[in-house]
Amino acid sequence: MRQAIALRARSSVAPADLVAIGFAVLIAVAVVLGPVIAPYSPTTFHPEYALQPPSLQFIFGTDEFGRDIFSRVLSGARPTLVVAFSSALVGVTLGTTTGLIAGLAGGVVDEVVMRFMDALMSFPALILSMLVVVMLGTNPVNVVVALGIVFWPRSARLVRSVAVELAKRDFVDAARSRGEGWLYLLGRELLPNVQMIVVVDLSLRITYGVLLAASLAYLGIGVAPPTPAWGLMVRDGQQFIEIAPWIVVFPCLAVALTAVGTMIVGERLRRGVTLPGGERLR
Amino acid sequence: MNVMAAMRETGDLDRARQTLEIEELSISYGRGPSPLRAVRNVSLTIAPGEAYGLIGESGSGKTSVAYAVMRYLHGAHVTANRVALRGRDLMRMPVRDLQGIRGRQVAMVYQDPLSALNPVLTVGEQIAEVLRRHRGMSRSAAWDRVVDLFGRVHLPNPSAMALRYPHQLSGGQQQRVVIAMAIACEPDMLIMDEPTTGLDVTTEAIILELVRELRQSIGASVLFISHNLGVVANICDRVGVLYAGQLIEEGPVRSVLTEPQHPYTAGLLAAIPRPEARQQRLHAIPGRLPDLRQVPAGCIFKPRCAFAMAACDTMPPVTEVAAGHVKRCHLDVPATASMEAIPRHVTAPASTGTPRLSIEGLSKWFGGGVLLRRDSDAVKAVNDITLSIQPGQTLAIVGESGSGKSTLARCVAGLLQPTHGRLLLDGQPLAATVQRRSRAEQQAIQFIFQNPESSLNPHHTVEEIVGRPVKLYSDARGAELRRRVIELLEIVKLDGTYAKRYPREMSGGEKQRLCIARAFAANPSLVICDEPTSALDISVQAAILNELVELQQRFGTSYLFISHDLAVVQHVADSVAVMYSGRLLEHGTPEQVFSAPHHPYTEALLAAVPRLDGVRRPRLERPTAAARTGCVYHRRCGRRLGEECDTVMPALRRDTAGHALACHAPADVLQQLQA
Repeated sequence: MRQAIALRARSSVAPADLVAIGFAVLIAVAVVLGPVIAPYSPTTFHPEYALQPPSLQFIFGTDEFGRDIFSRVLSGARPTLVVAFSSALVGVTLGTTTGLIAGLAGGVVDEVVMRFMDALMSFPALILSMLVVVMLGTNPVNVVVALGIVFWPRSARLVRSVAVELAKRDFVDAARSRGEGWLYLLGRELLPNVQMIVVVDLSLRITYGVLLAASLAYLGIGVAPPTPAWGLMVRDGQQFIEIAPWIVVFPCLAVALTAVGTMIVGERLRRGVTLPGGERLR
Repeated sequence: MNVMAAMRETGDLDRARQTLEIEELSISYGRGPSPLRAVRNVSLTIAPGEAYGLIGESGSGKTSVAYAVMRYLHGAHVTANRVALRGRDLMRMPVRDLQGIRGRQVAMVYQDPLSALNPVLTVGEQIAEVLRRHRGMSRSAAWDRVVDLFGRVHLPNPSAMALRYPHQLSGGQQQRVVIAMAIACEPDMLIMDEPTTGLDVTTEAIILELVRELRQSIGASVLFISHNLGVVANICDRVGVLYAGQLIEEGPVRSVLTEPQHPYTAGLLAAIPRPEARQQRLHAIPGRLPDLRQVPAGCIFKPRCAFAMAACDTMPPVTEVAAGHVKRCHLDVPATASMEAIPRHVTAPASTGTPRLSIEGLSKWFGGGVLLRRDSDAVKAVNDITLSIQPGQTLAIVGESGSGKSTLARCVAGLLQPTHGRLLLDGQPLAATVQRRSRAEQQAIQFIFQNPESSLNPHHTVEEIVGRPVKLYSDARGAELRRRVIELLEIVKLDGTYAKRYPREMSGGEKQRLCIARAFAANPSLVICDEPTSALDISVQAAILNELVELQQRFGTSYLFISHDLAVVQHVADSVAVMYSGRLLEHGTPEQVFSAPHHPYTEALLAAVPRLDGVRRPRLERPTAAARTGCVYHRRCGRRLGEECDTVMPALRRDTAGHALACHAPADVLQQLQA
């Protein structure tokens, strides 16, 4: 309780927090209200307005079909972030479970599980996710699964490194000697001690999720053309880059800003977190 | 402080005669309206060649004083009229000059030797570097000096030792390297901050002997910081008692420790378990350290003092009670700790019924290969131990670190699977691992760990911690569960309002009480206490030991009590087992074990305990590793008979009174030697 108050008091002063909060609000608004506040339909063609440069009427300009880039960028926030967030959630959930089990069990279990994780991690992120989507079929759900698999070993490594140290603490032996089961040890003894690290990791994975989702869309994997996905917009717009650079620039900016924004929010979380016992997260 | 007054009169010339002068030193941490005033107005002087002991419990500010002298306290607010080393004021000295003084004129020995050594350099190189830098020695001259220094701190085979890395040395050897480094430049002043805490008593005895010897040979003054009164009694000429950042008593060591004047000092001394007061409760100082953010105007000890009176609301003057012996107290008579001689130990005659726990031929070996099990390669952490505990009694296991006592405890708890042997609980065979034991068996055996810090989950509230075993082993839920939790907290004298707290909001002693409450929440018949008080201050230790004894009487619980502290063992045990290198060397009642004839190892342990009266017993043994052939102890043994000891491990022989010894020397021979 006292800790929560201290946390709030600290976060109300630092200007870095305002930036973080600002980004969080901006992204949330785009995701929730994007299609609503968009001035034009993101998909309807208006050939008469094709390739208009930014103006008061179309603040980000239009593409070769006369679609408003601003509306398309706003509408693109939701598919990108939903994919990024869900895949981060899938990956971190898998990773936390795996990491806790490996850290608690130690020995052969740890060795086998973590070597499997290492094998998974040795694939380049983009190639692994492409392979998975291509194998499972190209649709947004499979993109989430693919990115989840990419994040899994990274998360598992992080959580395992903390869990190994935790498992050496006497409270784990105390629980063991009481005759507690595996689920209790994992869920009640270890999990609360890694929860803040997991939250911070989640925010980091969302950042990577935004980048990877955009990259996959750019490669034409997972999303089909009319959808206003940022990566896809860059892919389709690049042929006009010399005569209408705004088609490419604004979706790129959107990706970059979202990635930086989630990163700042995560970083802020990381520094704001006070571990129980007063120590700060590094 | 009277010394100070005298000096002020005689003028500055005399000042240079003192090696260290500290005048009105105050240290506070943190900013804002109420900083933590950790040390307040401490004045002391140390004469050339004198050893000054600064004693106090954790949080008393003794380490802050030492660091302030070295000017290592960055971020703290340090004020002093004067902190001078041989007349040179350290407080106002530029940092550049200070670096010349550190190491060359004043050197420090820290509590944890491993953190004071660089892990990537050989220990010899680290000291040679100091010599080259401070003394401008050549490479080969510095190395010769290192080998010479290692010889002086009695490291075996100095020239080979100098080429080793810190992790290749034992704790005692590491501390000797740190001491060698400290004396390398022949400083005028050695500051030793708990240099023997964390070492075995036998190693401690060797280090203390070394410090005494070095004091004579290099003539350095020593500021010796410790919480262990026995250690200070053995090393120091004068002693200052620090309580909550204030020097409350100071004087010649003999005088302070035999005729303490301040109620706090008297209380500390009374809290030490003594063999002659075995049947009594220990004296525990009530209350806890005051909050140093709000320092009262009066006596800082008043809230915990049995002699508190109206005058105590004003700051007590410093009064001299005997030559050089001063106290800061309003009381004009010597304080005595009110030793209520509350008898305890309704010692049940060693019952001959079914033991609560029988350990039969238990061994735990580590390593030795999985496929081709070669017994000779295995580390025999516990080797063929047979012991039993009667209901309501305490079996204490003593030994140095590495003796296998904790491994044995973990085997009994089912946390480790024994290699050989079996366990019986109330005559019934007990499964080897805790997972395979029944709920009732799991409930019957509970564990109290050494470090309360690490044995409590920081994310669980007190209620969850104590409530969990209740929930696990009984049907109590809801209001019934809460009632039981409050009841358990009250049994260990914790307030019911603690239920919603987290461990971080409690003191070390309170946390250990909580661990005791958790163990007793299961209604156990056997509690394993693994060094339950070694992480605690003496006054807190006394309260915890009283608690354990009371609970045992109330619930008839048996204890398997692991400790390296012989005084504690003597206080709580009904029978004592002495372990060395995995073997049981002696077993009997405390009277049998602690009086002659005893095993030469027990004899060495007892001789190593620093005594409050400063009397030192001769040390017989040589410090070396345990032997792999013959008697495990023969290489260290001071009573070695001959070839038989080198080749055959003696069997445990039990006499008619039940006293068991594993030694080739017959009991009557040992009796003669040890009398």
